[in-house]
Amino acid sequence: MNTKIKITLIMTCVLLLSIPNMMWGQETPKLNDSEIASVAVVANQIDIDYAKMAIKRSKNKEVIDFANRMMEDHNAVIQQAVALVTKLGVTPKDNEVSQSLLKQSKETLKKLKKTKKQDFDKTYIDNEVAYHKAVIDAVNGLLIPQAKNAELKNLLEAVVPALEAHLGHAKMARSKISK
Amino acid sequence: MRTHKSSISKYLLFFAALILLIMFLMGYKNPENNVGFSKAPTTHTVTIFRMKFNPANLTVKKGDTVVWINKDFVPHDVTEELSHKWTSKPFNKGEKWSKVINEDIEYFCNLHKVMKGTITLAK
Repeated sequence: MNTKIKITLIMTCVLLLSIPNMMWGQETPKLNDSEIASVAVVANQIDIDYAKMAIKRSKNKEVIDFANRMMEDHNAVIQQAVALVTKLGVTPKDNEVSQSLLKQSKETLKKLKKTKKQDFDKTYIDNEVAYHKAVIDAVNGLLIPQAKNAELKNLLEAVVPALEAHLGHAKMARSKISK
Repeated sequence: MRTHKSSISKYLLFFAALILLIMFLMGYKNPENNVGFSKAPTTHTVTIFRMKFNPANLTVKKGDTVVWINKDFVPHDVTEELSHKWTSKPFNKGEKWSKVINEDIEYFCNLHKVMKGTITLAK
């Protein structure tokens, strides 16, 4: 791996790991349920976009299977969130956390696109490990505590085990592709 | 002396019969968890919820049936772990899949590879 790729990877991980800190920072964002719904949808959509990139660029079965799983599961979470906000008559509202996540994901997608073919699988999986860790922290530390509606809170709580399973799966994939 | 031995034997016999009776009644009253006494095959349920098999470790009699019910909003499957010699294929929320158990099994969800379970035949 050349120095440029290493720096890119380190920067990506630092950026992703900093999401919860940016959220908590000195001023913890105050989110209402419409904004929390928006963050939930955006965070899931971001991982679907990463997965699409992986399916397009990877030739490794382990990586492609993992990416397909991310697409299907995160789509299922979005469907659950959409069904709930429809039931509650709430419209997901754009907010600073959603925008921050989107901005960072665009940077990550650019980097994933530029990564050399031979480095792509490791870069993608490392990003998945870091991203899931960051999202788990954000859901547990920000979204669940601030959610007012019991059904929304319940949905967020139900999503955490799925994210944790994805994190474990990503770590398994990482150990296999690095052999 | 002989009378003393005879009364011990009678006591032991009575005690053994009592234990057998209790075991029989327990097995009769709770067929779901009965793994040792009744010969009739029974059905056990494993619920899949929040990315876990519950119970993850189950003991059954040979010939019993295990039913897995998916209560998660994502699909799961039940796949033999060591050589993938059988699989349920993915099933969705509210759906179930069953298998007659004739051997010890280690299984996992091939979609979410960290989800694991075992089924052990009662000795």
